[in-house]
Amino acid sequence: MSSGELGQIVVNAVLLSGILALVALGFSLVWGIMNIVNLAHGAFIVLGAYVTFFLHELLHIDPFLSIPVSMLVLFTLGWILQRGLVNQVIRAPLLATFLLTFGLELLIVNLINFFFKADLRSVTTGYSGAGLTLGPARIPYARLGALAVSMVLVAALAWFLKSTRTGRAIRATGMDIDAARLTGVKVAAVYASTFAIGAAMAGAAGSLLSMIVPFDPNLGGTYTQRAFAICVLGGLGNVANVVLGAAVYAFVDVFVGASWPSLSRAVTFAILVILLIFRPQGIAGKPA
Amino acid sequence: MRKGVAVLGSLLALGLCLALPKLVSSYRLLTYTRFLLLALTAQGWNFIGGYTGYAAFGNVAYFGIGAYTTGLLMLGRWHVPFFPALAAGALVSGAVAILLGLPILRLKGHYFAIATLGVAEALAQVADNWDSVTEGSTGIDLPIRSDGEFFYYTALGFVILGVLCTAWFSRSKLGYGCVAIREDQDAARMLGIDTTLYKGLAYALSAVFAAVAGGITAYQNVHVTPGDFFQIDYTLEMIIATIIGGAGTVAGPVLGAAIYQLLSTYVWGRFLELHPTVLGLIIVLFIVFLPRGLMTVVGRRRAAGERRFRASDLLANVRAHRVT
Repeated sequence: MSSGELGQIVVNAVLLSGILALVALGFSLVWGIMNIVNLAHGAFIVLGAYVTFFLHELLHIDPFLSIPVSMLVLFTLGWILQRGLVNQVIRAPLLATFLLTFGLELLIVNLINFFFKADLRSVTTGYSGAGLTLGPARIPYARLGALAVSMVLVAALAWFLKSTRTGRAIRATGMDIDAARLTGVKVAAVYASTFAIGAAMAGAAGSLLSMIVPFDPNLGGTYTQRAFAICVLGGLGNVANVVLGAAVYAFVDVFVGASWPSLSRAVTFAILVILLIFRPQGIAGKPA
Repeated sequence: MRKGVAVLGSLLALGLCLALPKLVSSYRLLTYTRFLLLALTAQGWNFIGGYTGYAAFGNVAYFGIGAYTTGLLMLGRWHVPFFPALAAGALVSGAVAILLGLPILRLKGHYFAIATLGVAEALAQVADNWDSVTEGSTGIDLPIRSDGEFFYYTALGFVILGVLCTAWFSRSKLGYGCVAIREDQDAARMLGIDTTLYKGLAYALSAVFAAVAGGITAYQNVHVTPGDFFQIDYTLEMIIATIIGGAGTVAGPVLGAAIYQLLSTYVWGRFLELHPTVLGLIIVLFIVFLPRGLMTVVGRRRAAGERRFRASDLLANVRAHRVT
């Protein structure tokens, strides 16, 4: 590996980590607050990517401008799915929510497959190829913009959870559902908004990803696994942990991918399992 | 009285199962063999997922190991006959499960689920890349045996063995220990249960069942590839079948597998293009309406006693898990 290649790998990892933080953010929120591992999270991301793709293809809307639209669409979908389905089994054994969200993933991904076909899509704009050169490394503008938008959204969610009334209610419910209920928090509404916000974040991540990497409906599962790995690495509990986890994951992923491309998933998962055994609370999380 | 009915019913079912190959076409027999193999994997999953309460999401890994071990032993230098090869596959699978189980069974809840999912993915990648042994993604070809009845009776024999094994397990010290771990692991340890050993044994048992099903499927399908024998659909099917029937019960997995296979063949076999979509829909509906399986409805019916079984008993199942 020459120093030029190394530089490009590091730049790629940094750019990737910002977007991965957004990929994992909603997943971490839903897991931390509701104790649900949402296996349909990746499917939400793919849906967000399709919203941006079709707005760009049919109405020629700039992909960055379509982010609010895809967030709104996914927020609504997330709210409906939570009230209609997830909420019905939220107190059943863990496996029930696990399977339910997996069923939703199958349903969404295959409906997309059925209606829009499994073709590999990408959003190409006038500035897609352009970028700035930094020494030996190239930084495409689209990736830089995506990084900036991700960071803004991550910061916005952190502020929302910390400083608004609804945000505090969400955190309180995550800490102790009965105590929250006693202080007058409407738990069902809080759960619905938590799930909907998680879905909206996934939608934004999907919109950003559609500009950077080609996508097809079956990518959903991959992104769910990445989100999970990031949450495990960083630990649950706050937004900063997600950012840290995403950074660690991006570096591991990029370096493993460059060294052992054919065994990348096996190596990444081995690292994860080893970490889980020695530090089940994640790198930054506090011991339970 | 009730016991007599149950025994008579089982005997009738057994007789029907034994006579079945003479009654149906060889194509239909294939469907019934698939049901039996699904029941076998579901019975295996029931040990770790149902009785011990560990959401194992990667049991297809042992299905694949069983298929590959059986296949590779029957080929090449050794030309081992089928049944010893099958036994070897089950042993290898059980040993791998114990080795992998030692670290990953220390994880709990979601973490365990995803770790097992990762193990299955990792093993698929290994099978895909270990060209010198597994022939990579091309796969291996087993000796051909196109005798539908042989596979049907083999699978049937193992399923009956599985029912007996589960019945023994549910009344053994091991089984009670596993249920105690499911209900409260720390309390179980306080009572002197060696939780690591019990969980490991339950996990290994589930691996052995999956491996036997994998080995039979490999022999029947002839061609074994990583893509076919490590696909997550197998894991899902065995979990769904167990849940539909009732996790942690003796008859649940077989009942669930029968219902699943019926739905698969007669209902959504008609919409081939939408197959996975309908699978997703079935999962969602079953989880929302029967999060604890059909056997709980039977249980509620018994609890209802002489009074007629009402739809509200079914709805009570739904309401129990909602947050308002």
